Amino acid sequence: MNKIETSVDSLKKDIGAFYKPDLHHFMVMNAVDLGDKIELQWFFCNYAFPSAVTTFYTLISPDTEVPDISDIVPSAWVAQAELADLMNINIENTKKGFVLEPDFESGPLRKKK
Amino acid sequence: MGKQYEIPLGAQHISLLEPLHFKFTTENEKIISTDANVYYVHRGIEEACCTKFKFRQVSFVVGRVCGLCSISHSTAYSQVAEKLVNIEAPLRAKYLRMLVIELDRIHSHLLCLSHVAENAGFEALFMKTMQYREFSMEMLEAVCGNRIQYDFSIVGGVARDLKAEVAGMILQRLKTFLPQLDELVDIFQNNWTLSLKNKGAGAITREAAMRLNVVGPFARAAGLAIDVRNETEDLLPWKEVGFEMVTDTTGDVYARNMVRLRELYISIRIIRNIIASLPESALVTETKAFPDGEAVVRLEAPRGELFYYAKGNKTQMLERLKIKAPTFSNVAAMVEAFTGNEYGSAPAIIASYDPCLSCTSR
Repeated sequence: MNKIETSVDSLKKDIGAFYKPDLHHFMVMNAVDLGDKIELQWFFCNYAFPSAVTTFYTLISPDTEVPDISDIVPSAWVAQAELADLMNINIENTKKGFVLEPDFESGPLRKKK
Repeated sequence: MGKQYEIPLGAQHISLLEPLHFKFTTENEKIISTDANVYYVHRGIEEACCTKFKFRQVSFVVGRVCGLCSISHSTAYSQVAEKLVNIEAPLRAKYLRMLVIELDRIHSHLLCLSHVAENAGFEALFMKTMQYREFSMEMLEAVCGNRIQYDFSIVGGVARDLKAEVAGMILQRLKTFLPQLDELVDIFQNNWTLSLKNKGAGAITREAAMRLNVVGPFARAAGLAIDVRNETEDLLPWKEVGFEMVTDTTGDVYARNMVRLRELYISIRIIRNIIASLPESALVTETKAFPDGEAVVRLEAPRGELFYYAKGNKTQMLERLKIKAPTFSNVAAMVEAFTGNEYGSAPAIIASYDPCLSCTSR
């Protein structure tokens, strides 16, 4: 797994420069709760060399607003909506209530304090 | 412009097996936009795998994510855990995993095809397909001990060996199944009613499949050649046992049916080759190590690419487990592929997506 560090500010620029729809397959977004910080990850593979997984990652504070990348990767809205619900991550243009019912506990996969 | 209507379909609906909710906006009968919700069955499995169960027990937990592709989940998890403890399953275990995955693909594809027939109003074909599917369930029970939720793949290998008499029984039943499969292909290909309902319905192009990162038979029916069995030789040696990619071009319900049917022939070939060349070795690689670091694994489940991410911290409990099911990848395309179709085609289109919300919501 090839991990490339990015930041919230340069995320769209980095993924925009990397992602070519006819070359790259976007798999999913993930978040790992590290306590004070959350590691956000975007997983891609290449249709021509599919065993090579490329991961963009960045560390964010829980209240950081993360840019929406669905203008670059159109199917990313599904993964963004899931993380907004399950990890309570604030993602631009992403509303809650896609994976969890509106009255469900907020961010159930976040570490309990 | 015709009159616009909003029509809900699901979460409980006679044409839906899964708790999925669509809200169609139609102009007279034509669907012009679709909204989807998948929020009815979240069970907190990822959380449970990191807080309630030790990493060796997790393969049994993730086997409960889905009743249809249980073996894909337990195998993908076992593989990602093996990466974290730095071991490799013995070759015989890899072959047996592939055998059960292909038996599972047969039962899953036939279930999907039966529901496409049912949603097209072809009850007799629904019953015939379900009847022919039964052999695969019986074979899975003979190999694994259960008809579903097999508990077969474990961290390091597999839990049971394949007995010679069970191998013989599988070969015998495949011989019986082959003409039945030919019969199903003939009906799905040539029946006038099915063709009328399925050709052109719910179509997406190869470009759209690529743009929306579609996976599985949904992608392959549109001409996008993506199949993890073609890619990850290090984990399971698919090409050694006769894997061949199946694609189509039209991307409609008809093409999805044909891709699934043609994949069944490949599954039969793979199962026969595995039984003919099953290597002798141990079933499990033992280790006392605890998971450390992070790893990802991709595996071709019946509906497409299954993705597992795991992170260990040198304890019995995982730091994080992330599961991405194939249907999850297809949601964006599912919503888009309805556009321009008649509302009356929606049930058949949904069945052809073969959605699994149990996996998607976890």
